[in-house]
Amino acid sequence: MTTAEPLLQVRDLRVDVGERNVLASVSLDVAAGALVVLMGANGSGKSTLGLTLAGHPRYHVVAGQARFGGQDLLAMSPEGRARAGLFVSFQAPPEIPGVKNNLFIRSALNAVREARGEAPLDAFDFLGDARAAAARLGLPEAMLSRPVNDGFSGGERKRNELLQLALLRPRLALLDEIDSGMDVDGVRATVELVQELRAQGTAFIVVSHYLRLIESLAPDAVLRLDQGRIAETGGLALASDIARTGFIRAAEPEKAQSL
Amino acid sequence: MMFPGPGTMNAIGVDASAARRRLASRGWIGRDVESFRHLPPPAAEVWLGEEAGMSAAPGETPAPTGAGWTLHAIAEHPQGRVDARWLDTGDAGQRSELLAGLPLAEVGDAAPFAWAHRALCRHGLRLRIGEPSGAGADPAMTTWLQLRHQPRAAVEAPLLVIEVLAGTRCVLVETHEREAVEGQRAIVQNLHAHIRLGEGATLQHVRVATPRAGERIAHHLHVQLGRGARYDQALIASASAYHLQRSEIELQSERSAARVFGVLFAAGSALEQQVQVAHDAPRTSSSVESLVLASGNARAVVNAHTRIAPGADEAAVRQRLSGIPISGQPKLVLRPHLEIHHDAVQAAHGATWGALPQDALFYARQRGLDERHARALVIEGMAIALLERCLDGPALLQALQLDALLARTVAEQFAAATEARNG
Repeated sequence: MTTAEPLLQVRDLRVDVGERNVLASVSLDVAAGALVVLMGANGSGKSTLGLTLAGHPRYHVVAGQARFGGQDLLAMSPEGRARAGLFVSFQAPPEIPGVKNNLFIRSALNAVREARGEAPLDAFDFLGDARAAAARLGLPEAMLSRPVNDGFSGGERKRNELLQLALLRPRLALLDEIDSGMDVDGVRATVELVQELRAQGTAFIVVSHYLRLIESLAPDAVLRLDQGRIAETGGLALASDIARTGFIRAAEPEKAQSL
Repeated sequence: MMFPGPGTMNAIGVDASAARRRLASRGWIGRDVESFRHLPPPAAEVWLGEEAGMSAAPGETPAPTGAGWTLHAIAEHPQGRVDARWLDTGDAGQRSELLAGLPLAEVGDAAPFAWAHRALCRHGLRLRIGEPSGAGADPAMTTWLQLRHQPRAAVEAPLLVIEVLAGTRCVLVETHEREAVEGQRAIVQNLHAHIRLGEGATLQHVRVATPRAGERIAHHLHVQLGRGARYDQALIASASAYHLQRSEIELQSERSAARVFGVLFAAGSALEQQVQVAHDAPRTSSSVESLVLASGNARAVVNAHTRIAPGADEAAVRQRLSGIPISGQPKLVLRPHLEIHHDAVQAAHGATWGALPQDALFYARQRGLDERHARALVIEGMAIALLERCLDGPALLQALQLDALLARTVAEQFAAATEARNG
């Protein structure tokens, strides 16, 4: 990776799900430490973009490229992408019955640490970090010893995603409607965590419909996705316009600028 | 080593002859016998030690160790009062004590196994758990016990008799773990256990049976419950050349309840679980739940049959059987069966075949776990969730460190599946 190359570089990405084309052609760049907000109507392809970048097997890339940290992202396995530093929070995180949350997160963290050349965390050290992070995020400590997302409320699942984000400290995090189902304290904790990680160099793509959160995050750019293409690129003013007028607006698709 | 004397040989010989005569006149389990249709057991000669190359000479079994049963405490948990008697069927008095109260003439599909057992049984363990007549018993106290069995002969027929006295609460961990030892012969084991729970007694029975690949084993449990008694069996079993786990539960008294849950790992060999429950009294309840994880060319069968007798008012029955092929082309047969002879009952049953939850697998991989690790974690989780449903939450599993055992078993299954795939 050259110094001029952005952390994430997506070019003309076309994605099908089954027989249906969802992303027609998406191009965007995200620099290290940058924060991009992705907006778009339901079904415009926001989650598809995230899951495609994460390597979900149901999302078939039929054209285009994606490079992450100077590597061909699309050639990597899902775990390879995660170990390279890509974190995608799920809009509806699944439950894994019988698997304790702390075991799951520690296993994931140690897999990522191993890829980074770091020593694994033992259960004691991990638990200390996990408890501290959970407290900051307002996630009850008891959730650490419960099965992953099993019986969690919507807000608790989102907080659990943030807990993993806080512990994994990725290079790029794509947060898909992380604020939905979250109370006001949860939203505040989200903003604080994003700001903290961003200050340490983590880049973000934040999918959200809510102007207040977007304003709090002070994004470098706001993109509007429409029918599988980046239809508009702007700043907070674009987010404000969308909040005021909605997504029903005519716009010529255009390639996103480097951020 | 002790050798039975002439009188002993006579006692054993008479019993063995009678059993052999019965086998000869009634015959072994035929291919048309419904319970065993999908996975026919090896022939009678195998269980009698008459197969070429096998030996079941009485002298081969060392008497002092009591047919391989050993009793252990579980960590710091209380043991309560336990009377244990290792008994030799060659001694008339001990034989009478060991067999007291057991059915003399087995009937039903699996009866030939009982006759073969009677022909070969040399030793047994009789356990009485709890205070007789409840004197001095603390109703809040639970007795914790571990019972380990290690085979003592190439062909054997161990016997276990357990009596849980009225009002007693007990956690019993029964293990049949076998480590692969080079050069050691694969055993044949026809085990019978008779369990009786007194009024209001509770037995949480964790069973682990993980034989070596070439072994042929059949475990038969006969459980009778008194009024208000509760029996919960949590089984972890893996496949071998032939492996049968059969439980017959008799709910003969009002408000008795039983759960028989099993996690079955079948990698490239044979495993069958049979659960037969008889509701013969009002307000009885039973639940049978099995999860079969099969790979390679394994043959796995779960046969659940629950009968509700006339007059078993307000009986509640549930059967839930699940099978998941992990890899290869295993043959999975799940047979939930209800036989209802009364109107006022609640009954539900079902069988599902499916894949591992893909969304959970992808989620784990997206967090950095490789595919193999993710699959193992999800499978362990499914097994743990099932056992927790049987044992009322995670506390018992944690206390018994069953999660570590499951992790080890899953890893062994993956290794066996990989070995089978690579030839």
